[in-house]
Amino acid sequence: MSERQPAPRGAQRARPGPAGGGRAWLRHHRAMLGDSALRLVRRPLATLLTMLAIAIALILPAGLWLVLDSAQLLDAQLDESATLTVYFDHDIDESRALALSETLGAEPGVAGTRLVTAAEGLDEFQRALGVDDALSQLERNPLPASVVVTPDDPSPAAVQALSQRLGQLPGVDEVRLDLAWLDRLQQLAALGQRVALALGLLFGLGVLLVVGNTIRLAVESRRQEIEVVTLIGATHAFVRRPFLYSGAWYGLGGGLLALGILALGGNWLAAPVNALAESYGARFALPTLGVSNSVFLLLFSTLLGWLGAWLAVGRHLAETKPR
Amino acid sequence: MIAFEHVGKRYGGRFEALADINFRVERGEMLFLTGHSGAGKSSLLRLIMRLERPSRGRVLVAGHDLDRLHLSQVPYYRRQIGVVFQDHQLLFDRDIFANVALPLTIQGIEPHEAARRVRAALDKVGLLHRERALPIELSTGEQQRVGIARAVVNKPALLLADEPTGNLDPQLSADIMRLFEDFNRIGTTVLIASHDLALIARLRHRVLKLREGRLVRDGEAA
Ligand SMILES: Nc1ncnc2c1ncn2[C@@H]1O[C@H](COP(=O)(O)OP(=O)(O)OP(=O)(O)O)[C@@H](O)[C@H]1O
Ligand SMILES: [Mg+2]
Repeated sequence: MSERQPAPRGAQRARPGPAGGGRAWLRHHRAMLGDSALRLVRRPLATLLTMLAIAIALILPAGLWLVLDSAQLLDAQLDESATLTVYFDHDIDESRALALSETLGAEPGVAGTRLVTAAEGLDEFQRALGVDDALSQLERNPLPASVVVTPDDPSPAAVQALSQRLGQLPGVDEVRLDLAWLDRLQQLAALGQRVALALGLLFGLGVLLVVGNTIRLAVESRRQEIEVVTLIGATHAFVRRPFLYSGAWYGLGGGLLALGILALGGNWLAAPVNALAESYGARFALPTLGVSNSVFLLLFSTLLGWLGAWLAVGRHLAETKPR
Repeated sequence: MIAFEHVGKRYGGRFEALADINFRVERGEMLFLTGHSGAGKSSLLRLIMRLERPSRGRVLVAGHDLDRLHLSQVPYYRRQIGVVFQDHQLLFDRDIFANVALPLTIQGIEPHEAARRVRAALDKVGLLHRERALPIELSTGEQQRVGIARAVVNKPALLLADEPTGNLDPQLSADIMRLFEDFNRIGTTVLIASHDLALIARLRHRVLKLREGRLVRDGEAA
């Protein structure tokens, strides 16, 4: 690097040559990485509080995202068992029901059919209710024959369309699908996703502000140092570097804290959630972030910290630049 | 090395700190800048450091028109000027060694080489034995000498000093001036702002005298 030469002859070389600059650059980066960490460690309480503020800002959107994720898991399971029940008119006898069921099976969009005759329907009904005799008192079977249809495409929109089409067929009384609530759940999930995104943006901005403000104070307390190094030829990049690393450390620390708190919270909720699920005879595990999402969260928070610091120092540099 | 062409500097639109300044300084010269308090000495040095821009006229340093120097080039330009500040501007959170090493750190000089140069500079100002002391532990005169060591550690082609002997007794002032003469002898251009008229008269260098922002005299010390 040109600076290594003896007494520079005037200002003809306003910029240093590229050779050797890389090593000096790396050296300064390494020094600032350590120096900025040391500065944070020397004031543990202030550092922890800043990181905690960042962690809280990250936990809210991340937690919501986890809840949404579990809702999607739920409806993914339901999707596979989504079926329609097609009830025939009362005057349809068993042989016509069989023929109609075959017609239904040939309809486009239908993956499978299962015929439930009027007698089988009554049986199932009695078994489900646990009453054997009450209905056998009836002189006539009140239930029509029906067909349980499994659709090709289990999405609520497709199922809805199929049910309308099947309802038009001759001999069909009504098509029942208990998907309205599923539809609502999905709409809720879509709404939730938007809320999570909005919260994510809002709290991301919060992280920027927290880091930006902390770094602004750090810049303020090192104002004289910045002035002096600028007077003797420090570039903006040189001035910025230690603060960018501080910001990145804050972000990384906040991200790690958020992950820790999410894991603790998950543990804390696991027992009651499992008990609740068991009482419904379901098995349900609380979702966890997983490795790739955790890494993403850490990268994201580190980047936010870095960016917050960049903005804070950038503002200071813009205010103090020579006229 | 330095040329001022019809340079004027106004602060806040009205107040004229410098007016129609013209002079040239050749490479390797040593000269004093003098004048009453508020005459504009510091303002003139700030123009050379490109901390301020002239309101009119041109300032040329080492062939560069400072007005045309891009902002991103200013740091690299400043690295070629050593400056001793009126209030020495040391960093009080680090020791003498780190203070003197600062210009080399900024330029990314390899630590071994930097340490060698820092010790040489400290030796020159007689403070080698205090390299691990903090600035706060030094007397004002010693702090001023640390400021000088920091200004010369980079072996600048141009050395500017603003009242480098302001707080020193006559003996120390004379020592410091001798130090500047030593640097001048090895080819450094030296410009010193001072109102220590007795000392300036004794040293018999060229003197620029400012009065209320105007250059009223340019010549050998009387
Ligand atoms: N940033 C500034 N804004 C407004 N006026 C200024 C500024 N800097 C200097 N001045 C004015 O310009 C004039 C010259 O100031 P300068 O600091 O150059 O004087 P000086 O010769 O160095 O004085 P001293 O010997 O007291 O240091 C003074 O009247 C001062 O008030
Ligand atoms: Mg002054």
